[in-house]
Amino acid sequence: MLVNLPGPWNPWLGRLALSEIPYTNPILAPLFVVVVVLGLLMVAGITYYGKWGYLWKEWLTTVDHKKLGIMYIILGLVMLFRGFIDGLMMRTQQAMAVGPHASGMMGAVHGYLTPFHFGQIYSAHGMIMILLAATPLLVGIMNIVIPLQIGARDMAYPYLNALGLWITAAAVVLIMASLFVGDFAHNGWFGYAPIFELAYSPGVGVDYWIWTFQLVALGTTLGSINFIATIVKMRAPGMKWSRLPMFTWASLSANIIALTSFPCLQVAIGLVAADRYLGTHFFTAGFGGNLMLYTNLFWLWGHPEVYFVILPAFGMISEIIPTFSEKPLFGYVTMVLATFAIAGVSWLVWLHHFFTMGMGPYVSTEFSVATMLVGIPTGVKVFNWAFTMYRGRLTYTAAMYWALGALFLLLVGGLTGMMLSIPAINYMVHNSVFVVAHFHMMLLCIVYAIFGSVIYWFPKVFGYTLNEAWGKVMFWLFSAGTALVFIPMFMEGFMGMTRRLDWPFDPHWAPYLNIQVLGILVYVLSILAFVVMLYVSIRDRAQHRAAADAWGTSRSLEWLTASPVPFYNFAVVPQVNARDEVAWRREHGLSAQRASHYDAIHMPNNTGIAIIIGGLTFVLGFALTWRIWWLSLISLLAIIVMMIYRSAKGDPGHVIPAEEVERMDREAERTMPRADLPRHSGGVLGGAIAYDSGAAGEGSANLRGAPDYRP
Amino acid sequence: MSHGHGSNPLAHPEVQMANNRSYVTGFIVASLLMAAATVLVSGHLLPPFALLLAITGCAGLAIIAQVYFLLHMDLSEHSIWNTVALIMFIPLFVITIGLTWWMFSQLYLRTMPMIPGMPGMH
Ligand code: HEM
Ligand SMILES: [Cu+2]
Repeated sequence: MLVNLPGPWNPWLGRLALSEIPYTNPILAPLFVVVVVLGLLMVAGITYYGKWGYLWKEWLTTVDHKKLGIMYIILGLVMLFRGFIDGLMMRTQQAMAVGPHASGMMGAVHGYLTPFHFGQIYSAHGMIMILLAATPLLVGIMNIVIPLQIGARDMAYPYLNALGLWITAAAVVLIMASLFVGDFAHNGWFGYAPIFELAYSPGVGVDYWIWTFQLVALGTTLGSINFIATIVKMRAPGMKWSRLPMFTWASLSANIIALTSFPCLQVAIGLVAADRYLGTHFFTAGFGGNLMLYTNLFWLWGHPEVYFVILPAFGMISEIIPTFSEKPLFGYVTMVLATFAIAGVSWLVWLHHFFTMGMGPYVSTEFSVATMLVGIPTGVKVFNWAFTMYRGRLTYTAAMYWALGALFLLLVGGLTGMMLSIPAINYMVHNSVFVVAHFHMMLLCIVYAIFGSVIYWFPKVFGYTLNEAWGKVMFWLFSAGTALVFIPMFMEGFMGMTRRLDWPFDPHWAPYLNIQVLGILVYVLSILAFVVMLYVSIRDRAQHRAAADAWGTSRSLEWLTASPVPFYNFAVVPQVNARDEVAWRREHGLSAQRASHYDAIHMPNNTGIAIIIGGLTFVLGFALTWRIWWLSLISLLAIIVMMIYRSAKGDPGHVIPAEEVERMDREAERTMPRADLPRHSGGVLGGAIAYDSGAAGEGSANLRGAPDYRP
Repeated sequence: MSHGHGSNPLAHPEVQMANNRSYVTGFIVASLLMAAATVLVSGHLLPPFALLLAITGCAGLAIIAQVYFLLHMDLSEHSIWNTVALIMFIPLFVITIGLTWWMFSQLYLRTMPMIPGMPGMH
């Protein structure tokens, strides 16, 4: 062994020992029992109903971009919940522990969580929310929507797509395993040198953190390659760059960021791994190491990453607002330019995360100015959305609520970001909860956009709309929770409360912390509303069957094909004529037009190899964490063998004959409600819209004055 | 789905371009540069700052050798995308390495004992 490993190690189990299982921990032990019982129930249920074959054939081995997207989203929602529970624990701990006289229990001096445990919770919370909740949710939605928006049958590399999902899932399983076997890192989601070095963090927590990071970075990079290739190569005939839907543009820029920045992260974390496993000194205090280099390398990825997550959210808002304003997006070209300007500038600002390191006025000025520059393209976007709504025929659906909420949070987050980008202010509030409140505004903006898009695209994927009323109840509860948690947090930030305190020592903070706990309770209610929304919608799905154009006013190409989308996406690959193709067809009375001729479709085959490699990457991560060398070696070799096997085998795919396509298409047509009847009418201008095919020609009332957006 | 080249991966132009001579040359050149850097560092053959410059130079040359001999970047139709990616990488390279270098030089002025031989240090 190259490093001085504290504690026992043996060749078979590595550092693994029975004592690493926290069966005496009063929180984790019962949780473990619950998880095991739930898991057994699930296995029993699937066996009882004989669904293993279905699960394996339809889901676990699928390469269908929509199913992979759904699984990404489920993964993301589960992790969003896990991260939320972490947040709930932090809020309750701080509220219980505030002040010098707060009592303690369960081994803690104040509150109920020991500092070491609290450290693990906030580290896991940050890591999970950004990389294992927001990222999979966004990747899932991109997965579902991008091929549909550009008129493709699938992603460019369906197998790679499955591989990305299962490697991300392996990262999720790894971080969840750290709950019950050993512990997680306690030095924050972004890590600090040199505390994450072996000498100062001798446990396996940091190792879990390293390998979880590596896996999710790998999965996301593979995904980004696939998205870029798909958008560049797989567009339907007529889908020129100037006609690309805004969400696809936003995703393209986001994935360029991901492709270029995630490798930085992998190198940075890889160097940490070298320090901990090989005994190198990249980030140690002595032997030529450089502590600051780590912070620099990390944020070199870290800031582009925050734009990787916000740009798709901007894209989602850009789809939802025009649909429910019944107008094309205002300023399409400026929107595209703004998107790429943001992506470009995102590479120039990373240093604002460590202004206080002390590199002096010149450097700080450059990064301060660059950070403020981001405000210009962001402002362009906000104005474009506002002008899209201006004099539009607005319909306040639940999806629109979430999109508008996202705009509001963007404003708050952006303006506080502007404050933080001024070094003089930054020196005052850096590492305070003001910063925490700032980035939560931005990340919640993303979460709002995600909920909006889940509601917006749900009918396309599942064929029926979600319950509007419960979607709005959830929106209001979620927004009330946001206000109750984060307004007091901004105020505490101004009062000088630093972040990550397991013991908030100043009793003046108590009222603010108590309000935040109230906010968390309201959040809990909003989660319940979400569950009720799902339940009610599934129960009433027959009444809410969606047409191809589920909202009656949709604009982009995905609304052309049947709802729910058949596995081959488009029975006949559409010819694209305009920027907002579906709106254009509706306007020209072409919506009802059907294909007269069908061709055979070539589709990729399912494969079990992706999930097997995903499983093996989990084993590899686990074995490396516990330093079980033989297992690491075997799993690594097995991964390589599987990859060679798959490359040699290839995939001939399978062909669906034209008659079969035609039959399925007619069937979908028959079961869908009549297309093109708006499900809701009205709006500021009043009056119902007659979208009867043919009647809605150039001169029809609802289109009067609408600009011609055909490029 | 397979596009264009059918299902035979050997038919890909990238594979067709493979050529033992250039791989071996690339390997030898890169290894020599790496060995040179190792010898320079382990023997302390130069003053510290000159050493930094020298191994940076070796790394740069190794990159060029690898891009040329191993990745076969050029403007032909099948590798134009690789070349585009490479060209897009240059500004990023300048930004990330350049700004990092600038930042550290300013930081070191204020926080570090000087590295012998580094200009601008006092
Ligand atoms: C795009 C969405 C954004 C996200 C997701 C985001 C996220 C974050 C995160 C995670 C941090 C703190 C990291 C940490 O210390 O743990 C942070 C800090 C910061 N953000 Fe943002 N941010 C966003 C947008 C902006 C904008 C638009 C600005 C300014 C125009 C900005 C300026 C800053 C500054 C200056 C800091 C450093 C504060 C400090 O540590 O003292 N951010 N942001
Ligand atoms: Cu930043």
